[in-house]
Amino acid sequence: MRGRLDRHLTPYLFVAPFFVLFAVFGAYPLLATLWMSLHDWHLINGDGGFIGLANYSDLFADPDFWNALVNTLSLFVISTVPQLFIALGLAALLNTKLRGRTFWRAGVLVPNVVSVVAVALVFAQVFGRDFGIVNWLLGLVGLDPIDWPADVWSSHLAIAAIVTWRWTGYNALIYLAAMQAVPNDLYESARLDGASTWKAFWTVTVPMIRPTILFTTVVSTIGGLQLFAEPLLFESKGASTGTGGSDRQYQTITMYLYEKGFTLFDAGSAATIAWVLFLIVALFALINFAVVRRTVASR
Amino acid sequence: MAAGGVFARRGVRLAAGLVAGALALTGCGGGDESGGEGEKITLTVATFSDFGYEPLVKDYMAAHPNVTIKLRVTEFDQHHKQLATRLGAGAGAADIEAVEEGYLPQFRQSKDKFVNLADFGAKDLAKQWLPWKWEQSLADGGNFVMGLGTDMGGLALCYRSDLFKAAGLPVERDQVSALWTGWDEYFAVGDRFVASGSKAKWFDGVGNIYQAMMNQTPYGYFDTADAYVGDSNPAVKTAFDKVAAVANKPGMSAKLDPFSQQWNVGFKQGTFATLPCPSWMLGLIKDGSGPENAGKWDIAKIPGNGGNWGGSFLTVPKQGKHAEEAYELAKFLTSPDAEAKIFQNVGSLPSQPETLKNPAVLGFKNEYFSNAPVGEIYAKSGETLQPNYRGTRDADVRPVFGRALARVEQGKQAPADAWTQALTEAGKALGK
Repeated sequence: MRGRLDRHLTPYLFVAPFFVLFAVFGAYPLLATLWMSLHDWHLINGDGGFIGLANYSDLFADPDFWNALVNTLSLFVISTVPQLFIALGLAALLNTKLRGRTFWRAGVLVPNVVSVVAVALVFAQVFGRDFGIVNWLLGLVGLDPIDWPADVWSSHLAIAAIVTWRWTGYNALIYLAAMQAVPNDLYESARLDGASTWKAFWTVTVPMIRPTILFTTVVSTIGGLQLFAEPLLFESKGASTGTGGSDRQYQTITMYLYEKGFTLFDAGSAATIAWVLFLIVALFALINFAVVRRTVASR
Repeated sequence: MAAGGVFARRGVRLAAGLVAGALALTGCGGGDESGGEGEKITLTVATFSDFGYEPLVKDYMAAHPNVTIKLRVTEFDQHHKQLATRLGAGAGAADIEAVEEGYLPQFRQSKDKFVNLADFGAKDLAKQWLPWKWEQSLADGGNFVMGLGTDMGGLALCYRSDLFKAAGLPVERDQVSALWTGWDEYFAVGDRFVASGSKAKWFDGVGNIYQAMMNQTPYGYFDTADAYVGDSNPAVKTAFDKVAAVANKPGMSAKLDPFSQQWNVGFKQGTFATLPCPSWMLGLIKDGSGPENAGKWDIAKIPGNGGNWGGSFLTVPKQGKHAEEAYELAKFLTSPDAEAKIFQNVGSLPSQPETLKNPAVLGFKNEYFSNAPVGEIYAKSGETLQPNYRGTRDADVRPVFGRALARVEQGKQAPADAWTQALTEAGKALGK
């Protein structure tokens, strides 16, 4: 009797730590946030009463929310797409018989381990209007200096540069790991068939690591939709309210959440944004998942 | 619950006994002169920049051997946002939390989370402060004392005398002060400065100028009955129009965001000649400009009336376990003696009439600023300044107007459009 109980209980005990952690750090905040989003909730004073879906209808009627959503998607596209292509190229380079390979492989990860605060500070200098390096270079070829944070396109480019710089190496290393698992005889037969290195890369390497590419796409999508630290730190310290510039030109959804919750102390609205963001991320993940299944099945 | 309390207290006593034993062993033990139970307690004081408390705290601990004080310093915005979340969470706040004047109205909405200092007799101290400073700390028609006042931000105008000289303007601080009485004249002198062909701009950015102007009005976006008047108060429109008119004018604004990294670079490179400076800003100017610019800055009278910009209050959150001891410490840190010492240490201007007449304060000069008699300048500005009423929801509305002026400064919008957008956004922020 006891033995049978043990046999039934033990597996559950082994997996329990995960479920306990998930309950405390995953499920509870999720449900608490849902609860808060249905209330008029002040950050300090707490519950101000049940208001149903009013927070949600307010949010969808709010042009600032749509502005933040468009900004987020724009930043996601212009930082993630080039980032993954560069990472692929970098990984292919690192996969060749390079001199000092370990040094280069460790090197590409350095941007990712540098504190995001330091990165943002450095890039604020690089894109500085008066004494920034980029404007200095533009000046060398006779172009006018650009006030990077002032406009939508320039601020997005600058922030995308920070994100790309930070995450390219990380993705490159993941690609590299996948590339090293590609059997060598495939390359040999490609060479026997007379394929060039370039052709072999596109016809052998890329198809073989497709699941990894899809994995990084999913991870980057989720990360990109939650983009926060880089744009917030791009905002000058004097006005760190989370509005993303004088005209919200680079306010992302998470910054909008921050503004509502921690500048305006409106925790109910902030929770609503969190939930809507959660649903958007889930939607994107589902789409990605469907794509993964189809491509894996097609192989 | 009760059992837990007893147990906890025994734990504290045990720890206290161990600490006392260790002190006796190392020869540091002292007699307990403070009386009371002699229970060892730790008080945490959270501030957002150097309040100059370190030497004072040492004195206090020497006089009260049962009290250990920990100072916790965080950056300005972070400090206040952390305080908000900790009050909301019901745990984590320090025993004494500094709250800046601009943030105080926001926290006044949550006064239930703070100890009413009147319960400990704070009202008896009222005469210690300038009347308006005392008023600022009150809620509930004067029945609730939110905090004890620390410094204040009397206004002056800091200028680069070397750049003035190069532009053919007077350099002596009295002569510079005589160049203007109001802001129109200040901008007119700016035109002269620009016409001289100086590479530097006239002021740092519209943010500081507008802030200074607004702080010279008796009330801004909310009238003293706390009703929103941002769209109807002529003082707001006048200040906005004046600043907007020069925001994008060539040579006038260096277009820098106050307190940003670029702003500090601007100090170092000397990209602007003037800026409004409350006394607490002198340290920032000195740090930003660096030793190579020592003696180039000087201080003159602010255009317009005296005004107040900044200054904080020491509050006692309710979640702390030692409210009364925390109050005693706050009282000590805001005493006239302490305020005089703080002024000499870090330059925060006392908000108390007695301290402002203190010869040690009055006679104080600042070497970095061409030996300007900062004690005299700021004490005078402090005595004559007109306090500025801040509405409960001031913090929701204020940034909206600042961003509108930034759009004009960046050349993205005409002043009239920026104003219209600001009114719409302000209305939205207030849920209208």
